[in-house]
Amino acid sequence: FQDQTEQFFRSGHTNNWAVLVCTSRFWFNYRHVANTLSVYRSVKRLGIPDSHIVLMLADDMACNPRNPKPATVFSHKNMELNVYGDDVEVDYRSYEVTVENFLRVLTGRIPPSTPRSKRLLSDDRSNILIYMTGHGGNGFLKFQDSEEITNVELADAFEQMWQKRRYNELLFIIDTCQGASMYERFYSPNIMALASSQVGEDSLSHQPDLGIGVHLMDRYTFYVLEFLEEIHPASQTNMNDLFQVCPKSLCVSTPGHRTDLFQRDPQNVLITDFFGSVRKVEITAETLSLDRDVPGLESKFPEEELATEPLKYAEQLPVAQIIHQKPKPKDWHPPGGFILGLWALIIMVFFKTYGIKHMKHVF
Amino acid sequence: VVEGLALLDLGVSPYSGAIFHETPLIIYLFHFLIEYAELVFMITDVLTAVALYLAIQDFNKVVFKKQKLLIELDKYAPDVAELIQTPMEMHYIPLKVALFYLLNPYTVMSCVAKSTCAINNSVIAFFILATIKGSAFLSAVFLALATYQSLYPLTLFAPALLYLLQRQFIPIKLKSKSFWFYTMQYASLYLCSLVVLICLSFFLLNSWDFIPAVYGFILSVPDLTPNIGLFWYFFAEMFEHFSLFFVCVFQINVFFYTIPLAIKLKEHPVFFLFVQLAIISIFKSYPTVGDVALYMAFLPVWSHLYRFLRNVFILSCVLIFCSFLFPVLWHLWIYAGSANSNFYYAITLTFNIGQILLISDYFYAFLRREYYLTHGLHLTRQDGTEAMLVLK
Repeated sequence: FQDQTEQFFRSGHTNNWAVLVCTSRFWFNYRHVANTLSVYRSVKRLGIPDSHIVLMLADDMACNPRNPKPATVFSHKNMELNVYGDDVEVDYRSYEVTVENFLRVLTGRIPPSTPRSKRLLSDDRSNILIYMTGHGGNGFLKFQDSEEITNVELADAFEQMWQKRRYNELLFIIDTCQGASMYERFYSPNIMALASSQVGEDSLSHQPDLGIGVHLMDRYTFYVLEFLEEIHPASQTNMNDLFQVCPKSLCVSTPGHRTDLFQRDPQNVLITDFFGSVRKVEITAETLSLDRDVPGLESKFPEEELATEPLKYAEQLPVAQIIHQKPKPKDWHPPGGFILGLWALIIMVFFKTYGIKHMKHVF
Repeated sequence: VVEGLALLDLGVSPYSGAIFHETPLIIYLFHFLIEYAELVFMITDVLTAVALYLAIQDFNKVVFKKQKLLIELDKYAPDVAELIQTPMEMHYIPLKVALFYLLNPYTVMSCVAKSTCAINNSVIAFFILATIKGSAFLSAVFLALATYQSLYPLTLFAPALLYLLQRQFIPIKLKSKSFWFYTMQYASLYLCSLVVLICLSFFLLNSWDFIPAVYGFILSVPDLTPNIGLFWYFFAEMFEHFSLFFVCVFQINVFFYTIPLAIKLKEHPVFFLFVQLAIISIFKSYPTVGDVALYMAFLPVWSHLYRFLRNVFILSCVLIFCSFLFPVLWHLWIYAGSANSNFYYAITLTFNIGQILLISDYFYAFLRREYYLTHGLHLTRQDGTEAMLVLK
């Protein structure tokens, strides 16, 4: 019994997050969007909710005017699997997928007006899966055809995350040409990285679909997906199986991985530690019954006092008093000089018109 | 006024808010009388009516005297006996004038609303009384008071001057020295009293900010709340860079008719006064129904023109219907939301057209009667056929 509970609490994380990034735009990069959406689908299927997934797609393939099958993104030829569906939540779309936004999401330095769905609200007990795909080179990854992120920047971003305690363990998967160069520079602890090809090699795409006219998936992700389709939330498959996923015979490129920064043995790391979601459960041995009369809680006010409080507005002041209220004293009075001048003028006018002879009647 | 007094109690200038645009003398008056406001306005209305009664009584005497003089001088044509006013029919005119003012629904409405227009009306009524009695000094003082209150009674300077000149038997010729001398006297009395009033107001609040708040407000029309006048709609939809030009045009429109009317009506200054009052109340920047009530009170004085009025039915219908439609369309626009400002402005326009029609009708009737008096009732052309008098 104790072994089982130990196994239950083997990994130190309490929640899972996923950041899935597709960095390429234009119709012929359909496969990158399909890659990301396939990983999104698997991750959702294995239990991570949309609120914990930050999905960044640099272009819209499903509603692209060149898509002969609108509102769909297929990952298998012959239209076997539509990964777009109707509950896809894209958090960063189209031109919002920039290096700056990506780094801001990772490090948490986002403006206060950003909505929750666009934030990576991880803590130091979070396991984060970061999946990136697109066009890359030796030490860089191209974003949107106009900028790139370097492996140094990425490593520094992860270091910031570590220092801000934004992750417990991090799994970084990248599917681009020369992808292994991207994880060469990592130096923060608890990071495991996988890449689709070594430095100097290109990652290749898998199958073109003649009906749609573009390549639908990349090889590495295709086989990773095949592997993930057999994983269910309770499976015990570990990371070593993931490392074997795409041998050179199938992938043409040599997938690489890096585990030296990771503290646990990959043998003991479950796939569902990163791809699935953990619900924290506490097992107790005693029972609690909820009673109506719980002793110890007394009413603070004795019963008699409550009824005599004045409750009505009308009872606050007797009506007779209100009617005969004196007008409140005024603070401003006209200056004495003015009053004098005015009445002197009026008297002057009066006497000028009617003659001085009235003076003697006044006095 | 209540807001102005409240602001003063707080120690701030009453003109610092955007609501209070009355003169400092009103502040002084209401500082003591604010609790008895209803009484004040009722007494003001009664005073106005009394002043008008006395004024018209005197005026009737003047008219009758003049008529007698002209008959003796044989200035009238032989067959105009039915046009001449008799003391019998003129006996009740002052009472009718007072009643017209007091019982006019417009007067009642402005009294109930406690509008300071009632005070304006009473000052103008006292000015008319002073003018007709012949006291140049008092009339200058009251005219200065009326001008100080709202700027437009300035135009009443001309009819008052003409009346006083007539009373002193000074002929109105541009070359005559006594004419200019009297004009200068009257003008200097008027201007001095105006200056004294403004300085006195300065001493009330120790600041000059009542000048832009009162006179700047009247002249530049910044507040465009709908009223029965013509300004608000126009300026609500005007572009900023045209508004100065149109403000000038509209304001000139009020003062513009003085000189032509003075030239035409120099023999009849009281009628000129009536027409000028009507023009002020139509074209002023913030008219109220109280202004309308004031000049309507004068209509019985010219009841002898009835046979020459051409549009009585249409006029009365227009005025009555518009008075009823004003609150209806206001309610529809503001409260029900099913009309818009165009509806209300249409009624404003119609009401003002009705008023203009009223004045022009009376003007034409007056001139026609004067013409008939001197040329006889049955006009004939050179060849002997019946002729018709036309206002060009």
